[in-house]
Amino acid sequence: MHISEGVLSAPVLITGAMVAAVGVGVGIRKLDYDRIPQVAVLSSAFFVASLVHVPIGFSSVHLILNGLLGLLLGWMAFPAILIALFLQAVLFQFGGITTLGVNTVVMALPAVVCSLVFRSGVMKGEGKKSMIFSFLCGALAVFLAGVLVATALMSTGKAFFPAAKLIVVAHIPVMAIEGIITMLCVRFLKKVKPEVLEVSHGC
Amino acid sequence: MAARSVRKGEKGAEGSCVTRSRVLEIVGLMLLLLLCSSGPAFAHKVYVYAWSEGNTVFTESYFSGGVKVRNGLIQVFDASGKKLLEGHTNSKGEYSFQIPEKRDLKIVVNASMGHRGEFVLKREDLGETAASEGKKEPAVSVQKTASKAPEKVDMAQLKRMVEQALDSRLRPIAHSIARLQEKKGPGLTEVVGGIGYIFGIMGLLLYFRSRKK
Repeated sequence: MHISEGVLSAPVLITGAMVAAVGVGVGIRKLDYDRIPQVAVLSSAFFVASLVHVPIGFSSVHLILNGLLGLLLGWMAFPAILIALFLQAVLFQFGGITTLGVNTVVMALPAVVCSLVFRSGVMKGEGKKSMIFSFLCGALAVFLAGVLVATALMSTGKAFFPAAKLIVVAHIPVMAIEGIITMLCVRFLKKVKPEVLEVSHGC
Repeated sequence: MAARSVRKGEKGAEGSCVTRSRVLEIVGLMLLLLLCSSGPAFAHKVYVYAWSEGNTVFTESYFSGGVKVRNGLIQVFDASGKKLLEGHTNSKGEYSFQIPEKRDLKIVVNASMGHRGEFVLKREDLGETAASEGKKEPAVSVQKTASKAPEKVDMAQLKRMVEQALDSRLRPIAHSIARLQEKKGPGLTEVVGGIGYIFGIMGLLLYFRSRKK
């Protein structure tokens, strides 16, 4: 879901950068000392996830893990994703420096939205219910990211619906995989380190 | 049988043992998932590569890892940004076109979902188009051989001919060398380096915040 340099027009890039700045600001506000290692670990998970490639005939998609980041970090997903994207742009030439803001918003905003929507369901739900909510959180975050990419591409003169359809269809396998990964991670954390999930992201 | 019953007994006796095996199971599953999905192809950038043969420019577009860009939009610009032509890649990610003008060509591929790659084909690399140089030379050489001293002319002509022959012979080799130099995707160094950076940033943050407290 990295938009390359030279695709988007300046107003879109600037808007993206501004929204990203706000998100990162909020995220850093909420970042307390004890959570820093967790943010770093998830930031590196996000950084590496883009290398896990999911083959789908006509194009190339990869894992994103933004749903998981949102669920575990809330607003702090913004700085985590920004740093990971910056390093991906510099080291892998994925995306680009000018599109850093837009790409951050594309992936971090759905993360925050999904965490707000599903968090209480995941925390309070018992057993299966919690699993279903975490699956939805992982899958929906990817879906929303696809919709945001399509929105950003509208500025290049592409019609919204065909672009959105293409991106979303291409990411169906990713949604399924991410849903499962998020589910497994939540199940794992609930057993091993439940306090990670219980700390409110609104602290 | 005996071993199984022993294990069963252990499970019953210790609850923690159950969770541990579950944990192992989950970690194993995730590893498997990662291995399955990574495969030979690796991530997420579009490359376009172009070379010329005679009058035609051939291009090849692929995602890092080698998945070909199918039906991607290829646009060819000149140095000033004027669009010269456009077309779509075939199922092998290839697209070829006649050289429109003999100058630097910027070839841009737009794959779906905001992926974009570009490649600049230098004027020098366009080779001798049959129209411009190829035809001129024989005419000149005929005149020369007719009028001037044969030995000297032969040298000049020979030099050109050798150069041309070498050019056409070496082009495929130059092409494959260029292909080898193309970066196909991030290596282990970049991956480990990136993770290192993130943890370095974490360390810095922890350090500064801890001094404040």
